[in-house]
Amino acid sequence: MLRFITRRFLETIPVLFIIATATFFMMRLTPGGPFDSEKQVSPEIRARMEAHYGLDKPLFQQYLLQMKHLLQGDLGPSFKYPGRSVNEIIADSFPVSLELGCEALVVALVFGLAAGMVASLKQNSAWDHIPMGLAMIGICVPTFVLGPLLISAFALHLDWFNAAGWYFPRDRVLPALTLGAYYAAYIARLCRGGFLEVLNQDYIRTARAKGAGGAQVLFKHALRGGILPVVSFLGPTVAGVLTGSFVVETIFGIPGLGRFFVTAAFNRDYFMVMGSVLFYACFVMACNLVADVVLVWLNPKMRFE
Amino acid sequence: MALLNVENLRTAFHTRNGVVRAVQDVSFQLERGETLGIVGESGSGKSVTCYSIMGLVPQPPGRIESGRALFGDVDLLACSHRQLNRIRGRRISMIFQDAMTSLNPFLRIGEQLIEPLLIHEKITRTAATDRALAMLDEAGISDAEHRLKMYPHEFSGGMRQRVMIAMALITKPDLLIADEPTTALDVTVQAQILELIRKMQKELGMAVILVSHDLGIVSGFCDRVMVMYAGRVMESAPTDDLFYDTKHPYTRGLRQSIPALQMKGTELHTIPGQPPDPHHPPPGCPFAPRCSHAVDYCAKEEIKLLDVAPKHGSACLRVQKENLLV
Amino acid sequence: MADSTPMTMVEPVETGGGASFWQDARHRLWKNKLAVFGLAVISVLAVLCFTAFLFPNITGYSYEQQDLVLGPAPPSHAHWLGTDPLGRDLLTRLLYGGGISLSVGLCATAVSLIIGVIYGAIAGFAGGKLDMLMMRFVDILYALPFVIFVILLMVFLGQNIFLLFVAIGAVSWLTMARIVRGQVMAIKRQEFVEAAHALGLRRGRIIFRHIVPNLLGPIIVYATLTMPEVILLESFLSFLGLGVQPPHSSWGVLIKEGAEVMEEYPWLLLYPGFVMALTLFSLNFLGDGLRDALDVRGSKD
Repeated sequence: MLRFITRRFLETIPVLFIIATATFFMMRLTPGGPFDSEKQVSPEIRARMEAHYGLDKPLFQQYLLQMKHLLQGDLGPSFKYPGRSVNEIIADSFPVSLELGCEALVVALVFGLAAGMVASLKQNSAWDHIPMGLAMIGICVPTFVLGPLLISAFALHLDWFNAAGWYFPRDRVLPALTLGAYYAAYIARLCRGGFLEVLNQDYIRTARAKGAGGAQVLFKHALRGGILPVVSFLGPTVAGVLTGSFVVETIFGIPGLGRFFVTAAFNRDYFMVMGSVLFYACFVMACNLVADVVLVWLNPKMRFE
Repeated sequence: MALLNVENLRTAFHTRNGVVRAVQDVSFQLERGETLGIVGESGSGKSVTCYSIMGLVPQPPGRIESGRALFGDVDLLACSHRQLNRIRGRRISMIFQDAMTSLNPFLRIGEQLIEPLLIHEKITRTAATDRALAMLDEAGISDAEHRLKMYPHEFSGGMRQRVMIAMALITKPDLLIADEPTTALDVTVQAQILELIRKMQKELGMAVILVSHDLGIVSGFCDRVMVMYAGRVMESAPTDDLFYDTKHPYTRGLRQSIPALQMKGTELHTIPGQPPDPHHPPPGCPFAPRCSHAVDYCAKEEIKLLDVAPKHGSACLRVQKENLLV
Repeated sequence: MADSTPMTMVEPVETGGGASFWQDARHRLWKNKLAVFGLAVISVLAVLCFTAFLFPNITGYSYEQQDLVLGPAPPSHAHWLGTDPLGRDLLTRLLYGGGISLSVGLCATAVSLIIGVIYGAIAGFAGGKLDMLMMRFVDILYALPFVIFVILLMVFLGQNIFLLFVAIGAVSWLTMARIVRGQVMAIKRQEFVEAAHALGLRRGRIIFRHIVPNLLGPIIVYATLTMPEVILLESFLSFLGLGVQPPHSSWGVLIKEGAEVMEEYPWLLLYPGFVMALTLFSLNFLGDGLRDALDVRGSKD
C-alpha cells in the first residue's frame, strides 16, 4: 500500500512539470497581453509595466524564472488585482470553492445513493422509474440552465433565498443543489447499476439462505460491492465538482477560485492562471489518490496485489 | 410425520422468450435423518425445486405457481417473509455448487461463519466465534484461528466448500440441502466433502437432500433417489431398488451411461437426442422422443408419478399400464 | 450385457429461427420504447436543424436579422418562439444554433472516436509494457480537470469553431480508449479467436470477421453517449464566452443570452434550455438502449 502511494506521488511530479510548462507556453503564446485592455495607457507606461513584471525578458528566460519561483512556492503577483499575490488570492478564494464543492458532494451522495439503492431493490417499479427519470433530467439539464431556473423559482418568485451572494448560510442552498444535481443523477444511476449487479450474485443468495433479512442483505453484503462503481467515479468527480463550480460561481456571484481562474484566463493574468492551474491539478490528483486508495481498501482481492 | 412434505410444486419463469416451466407437479416426502438424492441433467429442474422450497427463486422472472412445501406445519411457499427467514439458515440450510461465488468476497470468513448464529440465536460475538472455531475444526480445516481472519479467495476450492458446509451446519439444522456440492471440485476432494457431509449428518441426525447430475455419487450416498427430467419426477425409489429394479427407461439410460460401469474399450453409451426445449415442451411424456420403448400414446397422454411397487414410483406410462420391463 | 436397442427417430429440436447478433440487437432496441423515442426525437431535430443551417432563410428570417423596432417579444404568430432584445427570431436562431451545436457534437465525437479507437486498439493489441505505459498515461490524463485545459485551449486557439471541436474531441477520447482497449484485450483472449487461428484463418480475416464486429458494439454505444457530453461541453464553453461567438448562435450562446434576461423574458431561456435538454435526453436514452441491446451480458429480464 505504501509503495502504491509513494509511486503515485513520484508520478505526479513530472506531470505537474509538464502541466506547468504547457500552461506557460500556451498563455504566453496566446495573442494579447495582460495590459492590452487597460484604459488607454501610453506605450511607454505599458512598457514600464511589462518590465516591472519581467515580461520584456526573452521568453525562455521568463520560463526558467517562473520555474524557479514555482519550486519556491511563490506563485507570483496578480495583474488584475495589483498588490495581491496569487498565493493570497488562492488562499482566500479556494476555501469558498471547497465549501461549495463539499456541500454539492454531500447533496449528490445523499440523494444519489439513496435513490440508487431504492431503485435497485424495487427494480422496474415506480420506485425505480421515477428516481431514474429524475436522474436523467439531472444529467441532461445543464447547470447553467438549472441554476437560473432555481433562482427564478425559489429566489425571485418565492423569495425563499437570495438570488446571489455568499453571505448567509442560506445562500449555500441553491448553489449546492445546482451543482450537486448533475452528480446526484450520475451517482444514482451508477449506484443502481452496481447494486443490481451485486444483488444478482450468488453470495447474496447464500446470505438469504442463511436467513438474513432485507436490510442486512443490503447493508452488510451488497453495499461494499455495490458502491464500487460510485467510488471509482468519485475520483474524477471531485475534479468535476470543483471545476463545474466555475459556472455556478459565475451565476450565483460566489467569490470562488473558479471564477478567478476564468477571468484570469480571459485577462491574460499569467501568474494567476499558472497558479490556479497548478493548484487545481495538485488538488485533483490528491483526491484521485485518496479515491484509489479507498477503492483498493474496499476490495480485499486488490489489497494483495 | 414427515420432516418435509412437498406437494405438487410448480415453478415457472416468465422470460422475454416465453414461459419456462422449470418444475412441474413435483411431490416428495422426506423423513427425519433420511438422505434423498435428486438426480437429473442440467435443466431438469432439480436445483429450481430446491430453490423454490427455500424461497430463493428470483420472483420476477420466476413464480411459484402452485404447490405446498410443508416443513413441520409451516408451508414454506405460503408463509410470511419473517417466518421464512427464521427457518432458513437455522432449521434448513443450503450449500451451493460454486463456493467461490457463493461466499461474499468482501467479508472475512469468520464474519460470514458467525452470521447465522448472530441472526438466529441470542449469542455474543465471542461465543459465536468460539463455535465457529469448533465448527472449522470439525470440518477438517486446520489452523482455524488464522483462517477466520482470511478472505474467501485465499482458500482452495475444497477448503471453501468445507467452509460453506461449516457455515451451513453451525446452527445444527434439521435439513441440509446440498446443490451439487462436489461438481466444481477435483475427484479426490469430492470424496472428502461427501465424507464430511455424511459425518456431520450422523452427528446431527439431520436429513440431507443431495442434488447431483451424477448418479454414481448419489448411489453411494443416499437412501432414496428421485430422478428428474424436464421439470418432472420420472422415478422415485430407495437407492437399491432404483438400481436393481429400474422402472423407467430414462433411469435405465442414465445408469447405462455411467462410464465407470462400462467395459473398457467399448463405445460409451449415451442416450440419443437432446432434452426438450424448455420454451416449447412436447405434449405427453417429455422423454418420449428419445425413448426406445415409446409407443403412440406416450406422446399424447400427460404423465403422473404413481407407485408401481412398494415405495417405488414411476412416471412411465407403459410401466404403469402394461408393467413394461425396462 | 450390451443393449442393442434400435435407434429411434429423434426429432430435431425446434429452435426459434436463428437470429444473428445484429438482428437480435435490433429487435431488442426496437422493444425499448424510450430508446426508440430518443432516436425519433434526435432524427427530427437533426433534420430540422441541419435544414435550417443549410438554408438559412427557410423560416423567413435569418439568424442575425434584427428588428430593433420590435425588440424582445413573447411568442406570437409572426415569431413562433418570440424574439430576443435585438428583435432576432428565436426559432430561427434555435434551429440554426442547433445545427451548429449538433455539428460540433458530431465532429468532436468523431475526433474523440478516431483518437480513442486507435489508441485503445494499439494498447489492447500490443499488451505488455507498451499497453501499461499507454494506460498509465490515460489514467493520469483522466485525473486532470480537463475543463481547465479546454478553457485554456480555447483561449489559446482563439474562437475558431473548427478548432473548438478539435479541442473538445482531443479531451474526450479517454473513455473511448479505455473501452476499446478493454474490449480488444477481452476478445484477444477469447477462445473463438484461438479456434479461428487453429482452423487456419488468416490474421486479417480473423480481425475483420471476428474482432471488429465485437468492437463495433461498444464503440457505437459510447459514441452515442459521448455526443451529449460533447454538446454539453460546447454549450458550457459558449456560456463562458469561449465557444461560438455572436452573432452566430449555438444552444450555449442562446442559453447564456437567455439567462441574462431570464426575469423579463423567460421564453428566451426556457425554449433553448428545453430543446437542449430534450436532445441530451434523447441521446442518452438512445445510448442506454443501444447498450442494453448490444451488450448481451447486461440485459436482465
